[in-house]
Amino acid sequence: MRRIRLVVLGVLASLHPLAGQDVVARARELERRGEAAEARQLLRRAAENAPHDAAVLSAYAEFLDRYRDPAAREVYDKLLGLLNRSDQRSARAATARRLVLLSLMAGDRAGAARYLEAYRAAGGGEWPAGVRLETPPAAEGPYIEIPGPFESFARMAAVSQETPPGELLAALARNVVTNGYQASSGNEALEPTEYMKLLVRYISQARELERFAGAEKVIRVESCESPQAGELLRILGYRMRGACGSEVVLETVNATRAFLTIDSGFPVAELEQALRTNRPFVYEFKPTRVPILYGADYWLGAREKGGGDFIDAYLADPALCRLYLGLSKLDRETADELRKAVPVQRLRAFAHVLDFYGGMFEIRNGRALVPGGARAERAWEELVGVSPSKGAEFFERLISKDDGWLASFFDALARIHGPVKDYLTEPERMKRFYMAVRGRVTSPGPARPVFRANTEMLLLTHRLRLDPDGRPHIPGNLEIWKNLFIKHPHGKYDGRLTRLASTWTQPDDLIEALFALCRKAVENEPLKIFMALSDINRYRSKPLEAATVDRLARKYRDLGAQYSIFNDAPTVSDKTILQFVDATESIDRIRNSALRADTAGTMQALVGIWQILCRQGAIPASEADAALAGLLAPFAEINDAKELFDAGRNGVALLLKAAGVPADQRPQDRLLDLLAGTAQPSDPDAHARLVEEMTRILEAQKLISLNTLFELADHLEALGRGEKLNTALINRIASRIAELQLPRTFLSSVERNAFAFGYWTERHIEAQRRLNLQAAIERAGTDAGRLAEIRGSLAPLLRDTLVGLNYAHYAPPGAQVLYTNPQFVRSHDFLGMQGTNQTWRATDVFGSGWPSNAGGRLVGSLSGLAYALAEAEQNFMVPSREQALIWGDLVPQMILSAKIPRWWNVSPSQMHWVGLHMRYAESLVAEASLDSELRRRVLESLSRLALPARVRRVASALEVFDVREAWNSITPLEAFALAREILESKTGPENLFAAEIRRMAAEAPDRINYQVISRAFGTPKPTLTNSYQPELLYLRTLPTLMGYSSRIMAESWESNTLYWAALADEMHLPPAQLNLLIPEWTRQTVERIFATHLEDWPAVLRSLRNVGEDIRLRARKEMLVDQKASLE
Amino acid sequence: MKNLTMLLAWVLLLGAWALTPGSRTWAQERPVFRVKVDMVVLTFTVTDSKGRYVNGLKPSDFRILEDGIVQKIATFAEGNRPAVQVLADGSTRPLIGSPGGSEDPKGLEGRADALVGTNVFILFDTSNYMYRGFVYASDAIADFIRGLDRADSVAVYTFSRNLSRAAPLTRDRNEAILGLRKAVAGDDAALYNALLLCLRDAAKVPGRKVIVVFSNGPDNASMVAPDDVRAVAEDEGIPIYVISTNEVNKDPISSAVFRRITARTGGRAYFAKTWQKQVEAFESVREDLGNSYTVTYYPAPNPNEGFRKITVEIVSDVAKKYRIRARPGYRPRPAF
Repeated sequence: MRRIRLVVLGVLASLHPLAGQDVVARARELERRGEAAEARQLLRRAAENAPHDAAVLSAYAEFLDRYRDPAAREVYDKLLGLLNRSDQRSARAATARRLVLLSLMAGDRAGAARYLEAYRAAGGGEWPAGVRLETPPAAEGPYIEIPGPFESFARMAAVSQETPPGELLAALARNVVTNGYQASSGNEALEPTEYMKLLVRYISQARELERFAGAEKVIRVESCESPQAGELLRILGYRMRGACGSEVVLETVNATRAFLTIDSGFPVAELEQALRTNRPFVYEFKPTRVPILYGADYWLGAREKGGGDFIDAYLADPALCRLYLGLSKLDRETADELRKAVPVQRLRAFAHVLDFYGGMFEIRNGRALVPGGARAERAWEELVGVSPSKGAEFFERLISKDDGWLASFFDALARIHGPVKDYLTEPERMKRFYMAVRGRVTSPGPARPVFRANTEMLLLTHRLRLDPDGRPHIPGNLEIWKNLFIKHPHGKYDGRLTRLASTWTQPDDLIEALFALCRKAVENEPLKIFMALSDINRYRSKPLEAATVDRLARKYRDLGAQYSIFNDAPTVSDKTILQFVDATESIDRIRNSALRADTAGTMQALVGIWQILCRQGAIPASEADAALAGLLAPFAEINDAKELFDAGRNGVALLLKAAGVPADQRPQDRLLDLLAGTAQPSDPDAHARLVEEMTRILEAQKLISLNTLFELADHLEALGRGEKLNTALINRIASRIAELQLPRTFLSSVERNAFAFGYWTERHIEAQRRLNLQAAIERAGTDAGRLAEIRGSLAPLLRDTLVGLNYAHYAPPGAQVLYTNPQFVRSHDFLGMQGTNQTWRATDVFGSGWPSNAGGRLVGSLSGLAYALAEAEQNFMVPSREQALIWGDLVPQMILSAKIPRWWNVSPSQMHWVGLHMRYAESLVAEASLDSELRRRVLESLSRLALPARVRRVASALEVFDVREAWNSITPLEAFALAREILESKTGPENLFAAEIRRMAAEAPDRINYQVISRAFGTPKPTLTNSYQPELLYLRTLPTLMGYSSRIMAESWESNTLYWAALADEMHLPPAQLNLLIPEWTRQTVERIFATHLEDWPAVLRSLRNVGEDIRLRARKEMLVDQKASLE
Repeated sequence: MKNLTMLLAWVLLLGAWALTPGSRTWAQERPVFRVKVDMVVLTFTVTDSKGRYVNGLKPSDFRILEDGIVQKIATFAEGNRPAVQVLADGSTRPLIGSPGGSEDPKGLEGRADALVGTNVFILFDTSNYMYRGFVYASDAIADFIRGLDRADSVAVYTFSRNLSRAAPLTRDRNEAILGLRKAVAGDDAALYNALLLCLRDAAKVPGRKVIVVFSNGPDNASMVAPDDVRAVAEDEGIPIYVISTNEVNKDPISSAVFRRITARTGGRAYFAKTWQKQVEAFESVREDLGNSYTVTYYPAPNPNEGFRKITVEIVSDVAKKYRIRARPGYRPRPAF
């Protein structure tokens, strides 16, 4: 349809050419209306028809520039040619200036130098005259050699083959530290793991092959009969079967060697083919040159025993690897200072602290930069024992102090910025909080385990909120927290803190106690309660009342997973929140387990739908509270299945009413419409596709539609009034029930009982299978009481359909489990295994990987359904590379971020605004390479989100005009934040992007602002913020953390949606299409991540950009087809 | 049959019309679901009382029933020989070379070249469980690929926790072996997840296809149950062969699953711990492929939208003692 419009527009434009100015005005108008593709077509045509019209060319070039089209350079170049023939010097200078920047962005330094000359010739004098854009000779630093090709070594070392050679040793170090050694059973020494044994064996084999390759470093086998063939095969662990010629086949003779051959990717199939065809086999086998920090001698000097090749020494010494890893995380200046000032053996002793907490260390001009700046320097000196003015000595003491607790405190404070940082680094307060963290006994330190153990401290510093008076926000009041510590519902948190709690008078006292709990290895419940309730208040205009806070705090262990529900509707009242708590307690009291499961499932499913509709704006904020209160009301007392069915039906009616659906509508159809996104979608085709996907899932799950269930319920009532039996309706339900098969298992009943696995859920399905509606109705006759009981028998079916609607809404792309296991929804276990109570806990994936069971299923409440479904689906992703890592924790969060937000109400202008920010940021980065003052400001802004080492890398790239390298090191979130900060400071370059960004914001301030963009293109962060509301928090990417693995890291990754928005803007896609495209693009991104370890987010960024580039190429091809069609 | 196709087309068209922009109203209904009836491809083997393959039977020797309803065979093939079209009077004529192809059976699936040879999908377990026998397994699979009929195509997939498409479907044996030799050892084993994805890929390919799984059985990561995967294979008509490198008694649960899944799809399970046994198992799979019959038919009208039972009967009296191995039935797919 769009293509036809473009063609028609093209034809019209050619038939009725407009004057240049009219075209420009018309194109601007189209663009403002969100019809960028049409504007582009119009301008292109006009530029073709009037190639000497500078105004048209300028408008066209700027249009392309705004949409990051590489053709912009060509059009600007034409414009420059045209202006060269005129006397418009300032226009010429401006055009040449832009071409300099575009050339730098494209990596074309020669072009940039040429345009720089043109710029100066036209009178441009903005950049210093001494700027030279030639490529500087690459300075070769120290390196080592590793036997064999890079790819083979990387495969065996489990390092991504996309890792730049300069980062290989750091990536290898991480693998050696985490996977290379294990505790020995006999003594205290570490013994190598299978991974390490294989890597060492591979190096030995590679050395043999190197010797075989000779001085030329080429493995050459002239023919099948040549003696080299036998020798090579011996090294590889193979032999020939069959006579030389087409009969010959390679077969394993030495399994150990053959395994290394295959696993390292030696081209054994090509060798076999060469032998079969009696052609020479030639394979270059050169050692890999790998850059090494400071040269091999520095590291070998750190060893207690010297000698041997570097790589052998390195692999044999995990402490050495950890030091390498730690130093490689520092920026070069800081690392150099430390290296010069501190003996390598001493650094090695604290390598684990440096590795985990050294990333934020910075030494500038010999001084250590400390959190809190000059104001806090004295306090740091007192804590560390050395003045920050002695940079290297300060950090040396910091890493050696208190088993790493002080370093971890430093790290937690250095990572944040803004008022909370100012609050926490107030000198006296900072010292007080540190003393609380440190405690009396410092061992074990937080850097000892495999993951960083200061998780809670990072969460506290990142999520603490301040009230307008600058004091920390305390949900409820201090008394509640004192009481919680003193009269704790589940036993003491900490004896000392319990005693101290009675003396608390200030919010700081509570924060101090929370810091004190951060050092505990066990779950830090008070902090979690504090954060969850602070988060609820964060979204509300009126904070929770003290009584509500008290009740929620005390119920946290049972109901904490449910609290995120309230953040999707901040208008929900305290009364309704307490009503929710009452309802859960009432449900827990139901003795009949089947009824309890059905009641919990029905209630949670209704609340889940309410939550989705509130989040998506289908239920207006003004209706949210009443709707929730209304649907919860009947759940305060459910005595039997009849009441449950009526409560479920009532809930559906209330939800539809709150969403403005007239009462006579068919409930299932309307709910599907609403769940897909919005009642009145801007793109009905895209909306219909989403509805269809959900319908397919409900069909695959063989769920009975709400329409049918409610129709039957009405019919049962009518039968009581003497109406005639509707056999067709009964048969329709009966046939669906007949399709239900019990999940077949290969366990005997005895074994099944022993495991008690799936006991309740099978009962739930079995009860439905036994339902014989026709017989029951015939038996009931017109007895209203008995007919009402039959209505009750529909309650489990209603539960499944309502639960199924939640599943369908959150279904991840592909949804293999939902399409394959027809019992998946019905198997949802709301109770958990016997002896546990999972009813209100977060959703969990259970039972995967047993051939004998009925497949995995979900257990617990529906509160974490989106994540659990994504978790269940992640193993169906097919990585594009044979070794790629599909990354637990990161992948589900990426899928969740692509599924929960919906973009029906996003306007093309909002999307374009994001695109312009990205474009402005890219332009700033390019300009920063030429302007040292701007570079300083760009780097300063970047340092708020990027670690110092990366900021330094960007700086180094900019110093040599390598704009592409610099830009590729910056994440989309950082780019957006950079543009925002420079724009808000109003001191940045005023170019076409800045002007357009300001104009758009001024024209529609309520629709185009950073808050709206945060809501539209942010990500949900259920762990970090207890909320599924998408938002941008501008977070520095967090590391993997103990207790959360990479889940928090994944939630702190806020770049994807911003990137997709800018990409869609480049391609002029309507925002509603994002509802279909983002889940699919995300799937492609996941499948192309080729990462080495759990913190390898640069691999995520690489994959994101690769997928984006493919999409761009395809879109541009399609645009060319459109152009061709319009020409024809 | 043509009428049925037309009816389905109208249903789809009406569904599409109902969802066009501008026509959406609150009162609008969802598109109606109907059962989509594709051409059914049925592969089976016939053996005598001593387990020897029976070859040389003709289309007229068989009677295919679905829920007891006799079906009209559209095409017939034995082993890897080219399929022939079965005419209304029971006579046959070659599919390949029919002028213009205008009288070929309808649809893409009916294309002559789609029914030549077998599309063999090899699913190779590279999880930790296979670590010890990895290289021998690789050799045995390479031999199997080399020995496949010239007309067959082969794809090599590997799996541990996730699937990897090592070599896409190809007739080039070297390409397939190249993919095989690039496999790397992995960690967890999600056999049934991988098998499901393999089936989904195979289902997209027209013509006859089989899946040969090479694994030692344990699965510690799958979300889907063997029986659900079996149901997909059954519905798609894709026989599954499993060569397990484990002994039957070592892991009775996996062994039982393998037996059940293979029997229900018309394939076979082999328990081959030694390299020699594995080679023999592959040889047996190859023989099965070369000695099986493949018929296609468009199902006669049948109100059953659930499981449809397929029965293959041999008409002649002589053959009454013969044993037929075929999938027991399938479920028609819902269409939108």
